[in-house]
Amino acid sequence: MHAHLPPGITLVQADNLDTWLMDIRVLDDNPIYRNQTYRLKFVFSGSYPIEAPEVTFVKTESHPIPMHPHIYSNGIICLDLLDRQGWSPVHNVESVCMSLQSMLTGNTKNERPEGDESFVRNNRLRPRDVSFYFHDNTV
Amino acid sequence: MKVTIKQWNAVAAWRWDMPEDDMCGICRNPYDSTCTACKFPGDECPLLMGECNHSFHMHCIVKWIRQESSQDKCPMCRQVFKAKDAVGHAG
Repeated sequence: MHAHLPPGITLVQADNLDTWLMDIRVLDDNPIYRNQTYRLKFVFSGSYPIEAPEVTFVKTESHPIPMHPHIYSNGIICLDLLDRQGWSPVHNVESVCMSLQSMLTGNTKNERPEGDESFVRNNRLRPRDVSFYFHDNTV
Repeated sequence: MKVTIKQWNAVAAWRWDMPEDDMCGICRNPYDSTCTACKFPGDECPLLMGECNHSFHMHCIVKWIRQESSQDKCPMCRQVFKAKDAVGHAG
């Protein structure tokens, strides 16, 4: 997998089939994401790829959570293809990373989703069990 | 010189009539290999082509279609997945 990854995507850790870590960068010069690298955690169930993996951004000293109106400050991502209804089993780690790169590239709003603070404080659900409302398809 | 054949061993190979480097988009194993559940390739682990011309290991696509969230759609093009073979056998 190392050799064939598209630009801006690196495999950080894939020691087992449960959890992988990937780093992504935004390739164009979007000022919101300039010079930053973001870390993604993929958690696979035994039913992957029939079921979507759980994909979240993780915060480390050198990896912030990217600013985006569909990314909560705890790293939970609201993206249709990661949702039960939007997932397709022909997606894979690479295609998910590329979709997230493109979701960031196209964004111009340096902001968190509405209700971020209370969601981050109160949410105890796993990302895939959260019902997001895809009310704003412009970002 | 007269040669008498005392014994011979026949060896044959088979493959599905599919492009050689192609793989099942769901399990990402080659078509000539099996789905993740099977051990031996061949008739026990066949391929299934949809009317949309997308094909998968039969076991892989059936597992997907059984999911409610699949809405019976092809994972590639999201058209309703109908097996192409079924059309041929109907007559």
